[in-house]
Amino acid sequence: MSTHPGVAPDPAFGLLELYDEALPHVYGYLLARCRDATLAEDLTAESFLAAVHAVRKPAAPEPSIPWLIGVARHKLADHWRRVEREQRGLRLLDGEPDGVEDPWDVAVDKIRAHEVLEALGAHHRAALTLRYLDGLPVPEVARHLDRTVHATEALLVRARGAFRRIYQGEEGSR
Amino acid sequence: MTDPFEVLREPVVPVDPDPDFAARLRLRMTQAVFAPPGVTMSEQTISRASEPVEREAPWPPALSPYIVVSDARRALAWYTEVFGARQRGELHVNADGTIGHAEIGIGDGVLMFAETSELYPDVPVSAPDSPTTHSHTLHLQLPDVDAAVALARRRGATVEREPGTEPYGRAAVIVDPFDHRWLLLTPPPRATRLRQGDLARVTMVTPDALRAKDFYEAVLQVPFAPGRVPGAWSAPDVTPPIGMWSPPGEAPQVQPCFRVDDVAAAVARVRAAGGAAEDAERMPYGLLAECTDDQGLRFQLWQPA
Repeated sequence: MSTHPGVAPDPAFGLLELYDEALPHVYGYLLARCRDATLAEDLTAESFLAAVHAVRKPAAPEPSIPWLIGVARHKLADHWRRVEREQRGLRLLDGEPDGVEDPWDVAVDKIRAHEVLEALGAHHRAALTLRYLDGLPVPEVARHLDRTVHATEALLVRARGAFRRIYQGEEGSR
Repeated sequence: MTDPFEVLREPVVPVDPDPDFAARLRLRMTQAVFAPPGVTMSEQTISRASEPVEREAPWPPALSPYIVVSDARRALAWYTEVFGARQRGELHVNADGTIGHAEIGIGDGVLMFAETSELYPDVPVSAPDSPTTHSHTLHLQLPDVDAAVALARRRGATVEREPGTEPYGRAAVIVDPFDHRWLLLTPPPRATRLRQGDLARVTMVTPDALRAKDFYEAVLQVPFAPGRVPGAWSAPDVTPPIGMWSPPGEAPQVQPCFRVDDVAAAVARVRAAGGAAEDAERMPYGLLAECTDDQGLRFQLWQPA
């Protein structure tokens, strides 16, 4: 009712203070994973604006760069889930091999690997990025993709298989 | 055997984004941070059927400062970030590219500003020229003087007087980067511009508060947020604020809440006039008395704490 209710310090101010320092980290994280400057900008903006809401929730952590990268990781996973939903209708039943993996002992070339990642479907790209680029354990990957651990393990097997087929196919074509 | 995929590990390497993008996002962040809390909450709770729209700005108050600045675009960004101001209307750009008129709202105040232009040599105004004395001070009320002064300092203001507690609130004096002097004040909790008899709040008693909230949200296009009582809703951004709730067994009704100077004396006047009143209770926002007039209409009386 008072026109001037007592105002507690707003944790979102801390976020504004952190902005200049954190922005290159968040943008750099997203750019290295989606490799598209426009998309990285969109996801960076989404991440920071979501952080304003998140930081005001009860028991929210103190804003920090690692925490903001975590928010960005969620936004990236959300993005790929959206893309996957859009692609699902279009994707051919490509008879993905299930469950069995041959040992693969090659030195993967990092630059080519990124090209291959970009050629993969969103669900495969998301799983491999979170598991290998970010180095998350499988249960964490599962949480971000909103799948069970078992389903995530199976998805990773299929994703690695799809990656190998394109990677080796490229090798053969050279 | 090592996993060949381990080579993909990608530590976070900072990359500076496009400076324009960085500046735009900073502005959006600042707006999000300084938006009224009701707006923030409504973004989480609003039903998808209706989005709050940008409402037409109210007519300015009787007295508004109209100042001259050296760089109106920078001043607009600065006042927006540091004081949580909102732009009112579009910038008026002169033929030579200078800004002929800009207008911002801060709280319920309005500040107008412009740049000088060689197109109008007869208009005898100019931006302050690093004055050692000022002819005037802009007096601005803000919800958090300490945070505003800290941010102003980081954004290049000179702090003339650090925030201190005065009988009239928490006050500080700064000179902004455009050499305008500001007295910043967070008024004490009892401060209000409402006078005795003014409507402070409207409470709607309704069989289904959520349904009522959905209805009025769709009609008025203003944000609603959960109220103090579980199941209650309020629209804090309208004047006066609207609340709605569903106490069991009460018929639908609209209850006005009036500001009074002395609630105990006002309660006595209610009883003397043939109405009924409970004694005032202390609330976080002041003293509140539940009353019924001599024809059965419910209302409240409120005295600021």
